[in-house]
Amino acid sequence: MMLKYIGNRILQIAILLVIYVAIVFFLLHAMPGGIKTLLISNPKLTPQAQEAIIRAFGLNQPLWLQFVDYMKNVFTLNLGISFSYYPTPVWNIIAERLPRTVLLFTVATLIAFFVGFASGKSLAWNRGKTTEYVSTIVGIITYTIFTPLLIFVMIWFFGSFLGIFPLNQFLNPDLWIHTRLNAQVIFLYILLTMLIIGMVMLVSYLVALRFSHRVRTRRLIFYLSTIITVVFSVFFWWVSPVGIYAADILWHMVLPVMTVTIISYAGNMLVMRDSMLETIKEDFITTARAKGLPDKVVRDKHAARTAMLPVVTNFVLSLGFVVSGGVITESLFSWPGMGMTLLDSTLAKDYPLAAGALIFTGIFVLFAHLAIDIIYAFLDPRIRY
Amino acid sequence: MKAVLEIKNLKMYYDTQAGQVKAADDISFSLYEGESMGLVGESGCGKTSVSMSIMRLLPENARIISGNIFFGGKDIVKLSNEEMNKIRWAGISMIFQAAMNSLNPVYRVGDQIIEAITTHEPDVTFEEARQRVASLYKLVGLDPERMDNYPHEYSGGMKQRAVIAMSLACNPKLIIADEPTTALDVIVQDTILRELEKIQKKLNMSMIYISHDIAVIAEVASKIAIMYAGKIVEMSDSVTIFKRPAHPYTVGLMSSFPSIRGAKKELVTIPGEPPNLLNAPDHCRFAPRCPFATDECWKKEPSYEEIEDNHFVACFHPQNLKKQVRANAG
Repeated sequence: MMLKYIGNRILQIAILLVIYVAIVFFLLHAMPGGIKTLLISNPKLTPQAQEAIIRAFGLNQPLWLQFVDYMKNVFTLNLGISFSYYPTPVWNIIAERLPRTVLLFTVATLIAFFVGFASGKSLAWNRGKTTEYVSTIVGIITYTIFTPLLIFVMIWFFGSFLGIFPLNQFLNPDLWIHTRLNAQVIFLYILLTMLIIGMVMLVSYLVALRFSHRVRTRRLIFYLSTIITVVFSVFFWWVSPVGIYAADILWHMVLPVMTVTIISYAGNMLVMRDSMLETIKEDFITTARAKGLPDKVVRDKHAARTAMLPVVTNFVLSLGFVVSGGVITESLFSWPGMGMTLLDSTLAKDYPLAAGALIFTGIFVLFAHLAIDIIYAFLDPRIRY
Repeated sequence: MKAVLEIKNLKMYYDTQAGQVKAADDISFSLYEGESMGLVGESGCGKTSVSMSIMRLLPENARIISGNIFFGGKDIVKLSNEEMNKIRWAGISMIFQAAMNSLNPVYRVGDQIIEAITTHEPDVTFEEARQRVASLYKLVGLDPERMDNYPHEYSGGMKQRAVIAMSLACNPKLIIADEPTTALDVIVQDTILRELEKIQKKLNMSMIYISHDIAVIAEVASKIAIMYAGKIVEMSDSVTIFKRPAHPYTVGLMSSFPSIRGAKKELVTIPGEPPNLLNAPDHCRFAPRCPFATDECWKKEPSYEEIEDNHFVACFHPQNLKKQVRANAG
């Protein structure tokens, strides 16, 4: 059943992707200006040279033919060559920038999810207290604040006024100038470490679920294996010669991560609060209390577990950011990831790069939604495909 | 006989913005070992408030003003929440009004019962708990195989049986069944009530049935208390209540339900609605709806008195009712 469902969904994704690529392609070409005008208005190029460039990129063909060619290329995984970084293929540029964005926004989204989940949970549980009102109002303010304003304030306060966090860029050039190390590799290693820790947590959770029925034993297995893996990987980075470079990147990440977390935790918090308030009224919560379960068990095992479903949805919707990277956030922090690539390539009329970045985001979001539908089936037994 | 539960002059009020709502006003009764009692009344008369006071599961704006609830020698009213948690389910368990929704949708039904067992008896292993659940399932007429299903995979009747099995999980001395069968169709309702009665007799537990349906309660409960507007207006064994109802409200309740056997009779409804418990009147609370009300009834509240052996009534005119019942029925 499940496999058939996944098959169906992948087919849907393929169809959606064709439509999406078409929209991206025509939207980009609908932009005023365009590469042709840019080339022609450049007085340094002779007409022959202009002609040659236009022909080389196939820009002399009618738009629909260009579209057919592009579509063919996309489905053979060829995203073309960037205009502005000629002759670098779009793939290479994305491969270089994607890890930066993924690292920054995965960390921020995860923190925002857990902070929002935990605070929303306790807000609903402590309904009517002053802390609830204060936190809700603060949450609404940070949720609705004009993002650039918050970023400027953060940069000014932490970067300039207190001077604790570095400004600009994602690494310290003075440090990296002495090495031939590629930052891309470090990013990939950090992501790999995170993935390993995540997998260990998942596996130990499943193992604990399978082999013990006692909550205490389960927790022990889970936390122990997680802590051991974290300690081990920190130690590994510590002794490795590249550890200092990773630390430099992470240090540069603190301020942007903090900012993104502040902007997005409140969404999760408010959804969790509302969902939790609804759940608390349910009869099965009264049953759980009547069973004499400790307050914490009623709150976490019964109320929060059932109330978390809408928050998970919210979390997935915010996953789009993980790849597209908030354009504003990345630009203002000079974090050269996907968001900045998107902005720069659009401004430079670099169709292949802009389209490539957008298509990549689209594929990721579509698959993230598929993943969440599958996760939902595990979280809520009422959902079966 | 030893009293399992003894409630003395219990007053439970809700604080609302409009004022105090006297949901349970001066409630007293005792329940003995193995005895089953019915608490009957219209919606909003305070039945559930009484049961929630016994479980101490009151909403935040509810307060027990005065009175005692003795269970196992302890006054429940004075216990801390942690101490109360030990009594919940292990001492007093409940079958809830909406059994349909009283199981958590994201956990297996069996696990939810096991949870109750392992919380109160930490020494019981998971396997032992599973075996106990299996035998409980057999007792309530469910296939033990089904304990690994989720609530939404059960029918309404099965959920009700599972909830009953859950209420028995820790061998409680007392079970409060709050409208245990309201959501079910009449046939299933009857079967489940009879099984519940059988189990109660077999395990020698005490039981409080809460219902608006006096006919259903009379079949399973040995003693009946009639509640009206937050007060108990009449209490006796179920035979006496049925043969010699003394309070006009009891009479009204009985004539508003059809009987399958016997001659066809027109159903008599009680005119009007129960009073708002906010700023409850200081005269007899039933007076506005009572066909027998006299000036006396509008002046003060009748006292709760024993009019014959083990038959308590709070009414100024209880004795001439028998005649009136016949007149109404005829």
